[in-house]
Amino acid sequence: MAEPAEPILQVRDLVKHFPLTQGIVLKRQIGAIKAVDGVSFDLHRGETLGVVGESGCGKSTLAKLLMALERPTSGEVRINGRDMTKANSAEVKRMRRNIQMVMQDPYTSLNPRMTVGDIVGEPYEIHSEVAPKGDRRRKVQELLEVVGLNPEHINRYPHQFSGGQRQRIGIARGLALQPEILVCDEPVSALDVSIQAQVMNLLDRLQTEFNLAYIFIAHDLSVVRHISDRVAVMYLGKIVELGKDDAIYERSAHPYTQALLSAVPVPDPVGREQRERIILQGDPPSPADPPSGCRFRTRCWKAQDICAEKEPLLEIRAGNHASACHFAEAHDVIHI
Amino acid sequence: MSNPTIDTHLSADETTSEPLLVVDNLHVEFVTRQGLVRAVNGVSYTVDAGESLAVLGESGSGKSVTAQAIMGILDMPPARIPKGEVRFRGTDLLKLSDQARGQIRGQRIAMIFQDALSALNPVFTVGWQISEMFRVHRGMPKREAMKKAVELMDRVRIPAAKQRVNDYPHQFSGGMRQRIMIAMAIALDPEVLIADEPTTALDVTVQAQIMELLAELQRESNMGLILITHDLGVVADVADKIAVMYAGRIVEKAPVYDLYKNPAHPYTEGLLESIPRVDLKGRELYAIKGLPPNLLDLPTGCAFHPRCPYRKPNCVTDVPPLYEIDGSRSSACHYYREVLDGRAG
Repeated sequence: MAEPAEPILQVRDLVKHFPLTQGIVLKRQIGAIKAVDGVSFDLHRGETLGVVGESGCGKSTLAKLLMALERPTSGEVRINGRDMTKANSAEVKRMRRNIQMVMQDPYTSLNPRMTVGDIVGEPYEIHSEVAPKGDRRRKVQELLEVVGLNPEHINRYPHQFSGGQRQRIGIARGLALQPEILVCDEPVSALDVSIQAQVMNLLDRLQTEFNLAYIFIAHDLSVVRHISDRVAVMYLGKIVELGKDDAIYERSAHPYTQALLSAVPVPDPVGREQRERIILQGDPPSPADPPSGCRFRTRCWKAQDICAEKEPLLEIRAGNHASACHFAEAHDVIHI
Repeated sequence: MSNPTIDTHLSADETTSEPLLVVDNLHVEFVTRQGLVRAVNGVSYTVDAGESLAVLGESGSGKSVTAQAIMGILDMPPARIPKGEVRFRGTDLLKLSDQARGQIRGQRIAMIFQDALSALNPVFTVGWQISEMFRVHRGMPKREAMKKAVELMDRVRIPAAKQRVNDYPHQFSGGMRQRIMIAMAIALDPEVLIADEPTTALDVTVQAQIMELLAELQRESNMGLILITHDLGVVADVADKIAVMYAGRIVEKAPVYDLYKNPAHPYTEGLLESIPRVDLKGRELYAIKGLPPNLLDLPTGCAFHPRCPYRKPNCVTDVPPLYEIDGSRSSACHYYREVLDGRAG
């Protein structure tokens, strides 16, 4: 893919700490959950960046920060060069038109008392300049058709649709304002296997049709690989490895990525006895009190003294892509 | 170790050469206000000691309801079992009294659930809940039962078991809670363990830990394992044989290697093809068209026919029986030969 000059989204040193308080009346801050702790990346027009990581690694908080649903503690989110974190509320509202979101759970993210037409058309209530009132119904029907739903179902309620169809409604709502960036937070993980493929194909088609850029957050590594041009691996609020999908999946250099990939069950029993498996011990540490130095060192088999003292930066190391490990070493673990 | 009352109860049949657990033509229905939901329509499968059977299916396929019927934990009503048998060592469990069933449940057939947090009682310590197995079923004194609980927590590799035995469920992580569930399930050395989506709520690295633990426990004690899941990856990793369910029926039964190499039912084939693969990146994924059927109003004939690329006129009218392909495989498709040869439509 030819890289356009200016990235559409630039994220720089993004930090979000949620304060931990004690006491009811006089709330004293006794610490902070370091949900996102210094994340930087670029996103280009028409590109998909996959974000993978386990629960608690900060990937959903990252999505909320990108949408300006949470104020970051520090850092920048630049959309077309404008920093959204420093913008006033009128500007944020205008900028949000360009970045929209598809939620994970199609059962709770649609208001059960609103018709599909009202749900998909609600963005036009907020951004009334996009579609004049008389034109909205037609626009909503167009959107429904684009995502593969029957435009005549505009007056139905969410409960009359299946999970996969509801996710299509969520996608139609995300597309209503014709954004350039769509943040998809686990868009297929609540769906059955046979329906997942349908929704993935839809997202693929929409990307080509509207030249959308996706931030695709998921924990299913094979789904992420299928849809992404580049992949960021997160662990405890930091990106530990970032690169083209082939680089991450075939020549991963960070031990965490290697462990994550080897833990994914391969849907083919042939050779299952010989498969190399890195089984990590224990659970991820608490983001309220992350380990010093490298955050992965407490579960890492390569850890040495330097890992506790010095934090490894995300930079080009082994394998020609960025990884954050003092002992980065390209290693072909597994193919999915 | 074992309780004499159950042993005498079942010993008459224990000499038969039948597999350990046999589900035979099981039907389960739910009476609801909208009508009769036929959740399970004639399911048969067997599990032997030391064997792993994976029951694969999407939500609503009846895989969990079958397991609940085996355990005897269905709410009846609204559920009812109009037909079928669940034979454990030759005895039909469905004909036993509630009391006799209670003797088998937990002691000889145990189950672990998907959501460990809601399956554990939040107001009792985990040690108390694990030791309850010994107090209730074995009449063990409290102190001794607690000691057993610590041993079990060690066995499922919960670090610092002795210190953590008096902690409450919310103080454990998701993976550790699932280990506690497993500890409770294996407490009384069951012969069959049913695991209903045991790792669905967990992260992949923790899933790998739990699956390894289950495999190891199974090797040690030669349990029969029924693994209920929708994850084709997990199945490929651990199962000996697979039963694929769709709309309350088994559509394909096969040893694990055969099924992945060459599926004999269009639904299985569709599932396998819809998995994203490296060599197909950038191309459209194969997607099974349409939606899973409504259990209130199942399609006539083969329930899969509205979504099937192999459909012919008789699929709409005739319900396909589970055709025997060879000794070990079977498929509920009239045209399984075409599916095996890969000739669609």
